Amino acid sequence: MNRHYASPKGYSAYPRGPKNFSISPNRLVIILSSFQPRSQPALRRRRQLFQRLLLLGGVSLLLVIFIFPSWRAAIIPTLSLGLVHPSGDLQLQTVRYYDLSEVQGTEKGWERGERVLMLTPLRDASSHLPMFFSHLRNLTYPHNLIDLAFLVSDSRDDTLGMLSRMLQEVQNDPDPKMNFGEISVIEKDFGQKVQQDVESRHGFEAQASRRKLMAQARNWLLSATLRPTHSWVYWRDADVETAPFTIIEDLMRHNKDVTVPNVWRPLPDWLGGEQPYDLNSWQESETALALAETLDEDAVIVEGYAEYATWRPHLAYLRDPFGDPDMEMELDGIGGVSILAKARVFRAGVHFPAFSFEKHAETEGFGKMAKRMKFSVIGLPHYTIWHLYEPSVDDLRHMEEMELERQAREQEERERELQEQKENSEPKAHNAAKGSDKGSEEGPAAHPAKDSAKGSSNV
Amino acid sequence: MAVARSMRRASPISLVLAALLAFGFIVFMLSPSTPSVSASASAVSSQQRQEDAAEHPLSPPTKPFLKSPAVRSNGVQAAPPVVHYNLNNQTSSSNAIANRERILILTPLARFYQGYWDNLVKLSYPHELVSLGFIAPKTKDGNAAVAALEKAIHTTQSGPIDNRFASISILRQDFEPPLQSQDEKVRHKMSAQKERRESMSRARNSLVFTTMGPSTSWVLWLDGDIVETPASLIQDLTKHNQPVIVPNCYQRYYDSHSKKWDIRPYDYNSWIDSEQAQNLAAEMGPDEILLEGYAEMPTYRTLMAYLPDFKALDPHRMVALDGVGGTALMVKADVHRDGAMFPAFPFFHLVETEGFAKMAKRLGYSVFGLPDYFVYHYNE
Repeated sequence: MNRHYASPKGYSAYPRGPKNFSISPNRLVIILSSFQPRSQPALRRRRQLFQRLLLLGGVSLLLVIFIFPSWRAAIIPTLSLGLVHPSGDLQLQTVRYYDLSEVQGTEKGWERGERVLMLTPLRDASSHLPMFFSHLRNLTYPHNLIDLAFLVSDSRDDTLGMLSRMLQEVQNDPDPKMNFGEISVIEKDFGQKVQQDVESRHGFEAQASRRKLMAQARNWLLSATLRPTHSWVYWRDADVETAPFTIIEDLMRHNKDVTVPNVWRPLPDWLGGEQPYDLNSWQESETALALAETLDEDAVIVEGYAEYATWRPHLAYLRDPFGDPDMEMELDGIGGVSILAKARVFRAGVHFPAFSFEKHAETEGFGKMAKRMKFSVIGLPHYTIWHLYEPSVDDLRHMEEMELERQAREQEERERELQEQKENSEPKAHNAAKGSDKGSEEGPAAHPAKDSAKGSSNV
Repeated sequence: MAVARSMRRASPISLVLAALLAFGFIVFMLSPSTPSVSASASAVSSQQRQEDAAEHPLSPPTKPFLKSPAVRSNGVQAAPPVVHYNLNNQTSSSNAIANRERILILTPLARFYQGYWDNLVKLSYPHELVSLGFIAPKTKDGNAAVAALEKAIHTTQSGPIDNRFASISILRQDFEPPLQSQDEKVRHKMSAQKERRESMSRARNSLVFTTMGPSTSWVLWLDGDIVETPASLIQDLTKHNQPVIVPNCYQRYYDSHSKKWDIRPYDYNSWIDSEQAQNLAAEMGPDEILLEGYAEMPTYRTLMAYLPDFKALDPHRMVALDGVGGTALMVKADVHRDGAMFPAFPFFHLVETEGFAKMAKRLGYSVFGLPDYFVYHYNE
């Protein structure tokens, strides 16, 4: 096309010596100035418009690419025909750095933003979950600093489904103060053949193997969910009925490596109104140490059974309802209903032995091992939380009998009243009679034998 | 002349194309080195990596997480999700790759050796299934080691996707190491051993119990001074499907007599117990420990270091052990989950890795060694 225009200007279409190869700037200027546009203005304007549109499109495309990094990955390979590989594109953070000296745990963790891992093992616990979640919501420790972890094992009811729904609800709460931190739900069945109802749970023979399986479950939960960011670990059973909302702070304030409160449980009045529940928190005694010496390497001492008379001072029995809740007591074995421990205790390797460790297993073995590694282990005798009262089969039968008795007596009462009405034709003191009747029924010392039997079998 | 005319009248399309090309070149020049691996293979691995990633930074350290966390419709950052982990379906089997079992390689780091890292990167187990964990003391040496480590990590994690590890955690210890000197002579003195190994136990426990995630199937303990292993180390050790298995740790050295390179035993902590050793233990106080490799304390244990038969090496040969060393040690995650740890106190007169073997056995697990399968320790 160019040649076609060039020839009418007088140049030969054929090379004529070196002249053809050297284009002097002067000539170039001449060519440019002498050649006037031929296209019609309309065509030119259209072309300019086209040019501008394309330029605009290109610039906006570049802008878009810069503004949305995620588009970059999609667009660049297409443009560069696969020459440029999306190497920084995974958008994944793979490296994490932690300084463990910053997560030692201090007495005012909530002010320093210390993270707490709250651990709850669950088995057939759907009936306890609503109560447990109401406790969770009420906790005063900043929720975003609490990471929750649950282990659901060998459950035949809908513990898992219910738990998931309730957790989802908590995390979707529009109030950001209600949302917790990391939430892990771990399913793992240990093939537990041991029945979980109250009767068999506390039978002496079942105890050692049951405790070892419990220990295993606890260790699985802890090892899968403890993170380098945790300063504290709080173990809390789902079947706690009453506990102060400030319990994490209350236990933390003592700034000890392992801290447990006293655990009691309410009872029906005919059983004495209340009772120590957790007998696993104790101080070591000479008798128990001597007993341990005589036992086989794999034996496990379980507290609270006549078979092993240890004469240990128990945290539970030292409770004074009007005592100073801040009072501390050194312990060697602890119970697992509610344990606050510094994460560094677990990091050092202290765990819930699923074997006989110094003749103990699970939480008692945990206390023993923590002591062995020179950590401080304390209990608070006058700071009490209340475990749920689940009536045993005996209790249920007894309650049934009492109910029948009560109905019979009411019947009798009514008949007598009717009789009196007939005789006196003056109806009176209906309510009063009923009230006094109830009073006699609830005599606290009515079942002393039963009471003491219960006291020794709750572990 | 002809050229000049065409420049003037260039069509806008070609200009735009040129601009795009220029832009493409700039991107090409600025982007880090292009991966050499085939695009399709790494596309598969990046896909898996994306799927495996956690949504939120609050997640197990064995998972990478998305750089931009989820946001609620009202613009507020969403609360961490409820994450389910079903550990019933998780395996640790002889066919680890086929079952996509995740490995956590744990290293207590005293010094950084490039040889160690190069060997690690060379391991042929799919890297998207491998997470790393390091713990280093907060000392001058520790700082230097971590700085060197971070440099190496940066290179690998921004390099070819298939070479990148799934996730890496670096921990700094919260306690002082008892001994500043890492000199081999001082380090191996018997009096210093107990203290050193107890501190080592704490470091190991801190590392394993904070970095092990719910999806970890195997834990490989690999010391920072192991500079040479077969590339198939993980496959070879998992293949035996044993709860605890340990290869033989040797060292290459230059024999000045025969004037050639040779190998010699390095780790003596893998042994089969002896009656003499048990008698020694029976007479000990509760806080005393048995140590291997010291003339003052003849234990007459059978040491795996002396078991290889160099005339007929069989890398698959297994022997049952009672104590293990930790220079290279493959453990099923379940063993640690059940509570087996490295006792930082005399546990049946044993500490650290030897105590770990004892505890694993108390929990009902068996412990094995591969006398004819070697890994090599750095020669100082």
